[in-house]
Parts: sequence; structure tokens; C-alpha cells
Amino acid sequence: MSAFRTRLAGLALIAGVLALAGCAAPADKQAMTVGKAVVVAKKHPYAVGVSVRGGSETTTTTSSNIADADLKAAIEGSIRETQVFREVVQGRNGQYELAVNVIQLSKPSFGFSFTVDMEAGWTVTRVSDNQVVFRKAIASTYTASSSDAFVGATRLRLAVEGAAKANISQGLAAIGAIDL
Amino acid sequence: MSIRRWSGAALLALFAIVISGCAVNRSTANVEPGSNLAAVKTIHVVRAPDDGRKVNDLIAERLTQMGYAASTGESKRADVDANMTYVDRWMWDLTMYMIELTLILRDPATDFPLARGNSFHTSLTRLSPKEMVQEVTANMFKDVKK
Repeated sequence: MSAFRTRLAGLALIAGVLALAGCAAPADKQAMTVGKAVVVAKKHPYAVGVSVRGGSETTTTTSSNIADADLKAAIEGSIRETQVFREVVQGRNGQYELAVNVIQLSKPSFGFSFTVDMEAGWTVTRVSDNQVVFRKAIASTYTASSSDAFVGATRLRLAVEGAAKANISQGLAAIGAIDL
Repeated sequence: MSIRRWSGAALLALFAIVISGCAVNRSTANVEPGSNLAAVKTIHVVRAPDDGRKVNDLIAERLTQMGYAASTGESKRADVDANMTYVDRWMWDLTMYMIELTLILRDPATDFPLARGNSFHTSLTRLSPKEMVQEVTANMFKDVKK
């Protein structure tokens, strides 16, 4: 009976570790959204459509990822907050289209502090003549420490969200610095 | 008896958790708006700093097979049509295998990513590094008319 209990405790431990390893949550769109605190130099009086590619879903076999739809929602929310464009529309119904392509999302597997690096290509195209008016590779980084969250999966999600938020902040600031 | 039943259920759950990650395949490629890959004729593959498996050589060989003037080295070059960087991830399952490969084609002047290709294969559907390189490059350049 005692051997049985020991075996059961071992199984429970393994199951607990596996469950913790698989409890990764996707980056949250609200947490990635930039607020009014980010000041853009110019507020463009145009409508913009946003498209996002290169993100990936969070599954039971992966750590925290950024889904295209969530990053798109975060960028749209951030545009509304910062007012770098007058209005956000869907599809190519605005004067400009902003395409953001996630190129790299480097995440650590272990550690007390998790540093996530993100790189995304930001492109603004004028819809009327399909002219690319802005393109820039934006690199951002964010470190979440054990004081931010004790559970590793949560700490990693915070680091992913922080890197994405910094990327959006830099991208919108760069767009706010150009003439359209 | 009850303990035995729970023990069996726990084993079953463990098995389900473990095998659920056994066969994941993903293969994607994106070309940035305004990028003209048809104009790219010369590509320089930049060796990743921590690459001890010479993946850069595999990529350069594959690009040469595809008809590009390809070279490889430690740092980026400005006198080519594009630089190519990559990220290779490896995993152990009885033997080491390449689980994910990402290739990024970059503008030599601005480092802007012109195109990105990615393949992800878990253990049961693993590909050799050469096959991974072939799959990603085929996806990246599939719409390019030479």
C-alpha cells in the first residue's frame, strides 16, 4: 500500500509538472495595447486598415505566443488611443494600410528572469496607388522577473506582452514622425 | 481498488498529454508588401553566431541549386541583393532533430525583412535539416517568376 502511495505521489508530481508546463496562455490584447501616455509627433488625418501576419497560436505544446488577431486588435486599439491615424477601418477601405509582420519572437525556456526579443516589419502603404510610404524593422525587448510573477508560464506571458507592447509603441512613434 | 483505478486514469491522462504534442506540422511564408523577390539574384547567407551544425552551408547550397548566386559568411554584406538570416531550433527525442527553421530575407541597405519563411515539425514527422531548408525555401520563393 505504501509503495502504491509513493507511486501515486510520483505520478501526481509528474502530472503537476506537465500541467504547469502546458498551462501557457496567449498574449492578451489589452496587455499589449499602448495607452495615451505614448505621444506621437503627428496625428495623421486619414483612415487606416491594419493587417498582421507571422504570429502564432498558443497551444498545449508551445509556450506563450502572439496570435495575429490579438496583435491586430492591440495595434488597432493603440492607434485609437494615440490617434496617430484619425480612424481605424477594416480591410482596404481607408487611405492607408498598415501591415505588421512578426519576424521573430525569441523566448527563453528556463530562468528567473525571462527576456523576450521581438522583431516585426512595419509597412504603411497608400491604398490609392499602392505606394509603400514607410517601412521599418522594429526590434523590441522586455524582461519579466520573478517579482512580476512566480509561475514561469505567467512570467513568460508577461515578457511576451511587454515585448509586443514596446514594439507597438516604437512602431506607432515612428509612423507618427513621418509626413503622409 | 479505487487507488488502482485512479492510478490507471492518471497514466492515461499522462499518455494523452505526452502524445498530444507528437505530430505538429506548420509551414508558412510571408512576403512584405512592396517587396519584389523577382529582382533578387544574389543572396548572402549570414551564419548564425551559435550555429555549430553549418546550417548556413545547407541554405547556401540550396539557394545555389535554385539558381541564385549564393554565398555565406559570418557577417552581412552590402554588395548583394539580399542577406538571409535564420533561426534554427533543435530538440531531443532519441536523437537530436531540427524542430523549427525560420529564414528571413533582408534588404542589405536597411536590414528590413523582405520575406520570412518558417517550418515546424515535431518528432513524429521530423525532417532532415536539408529537407527543412528545402521546404522553407520552396515556400518563400514559390511565387517568384525567374
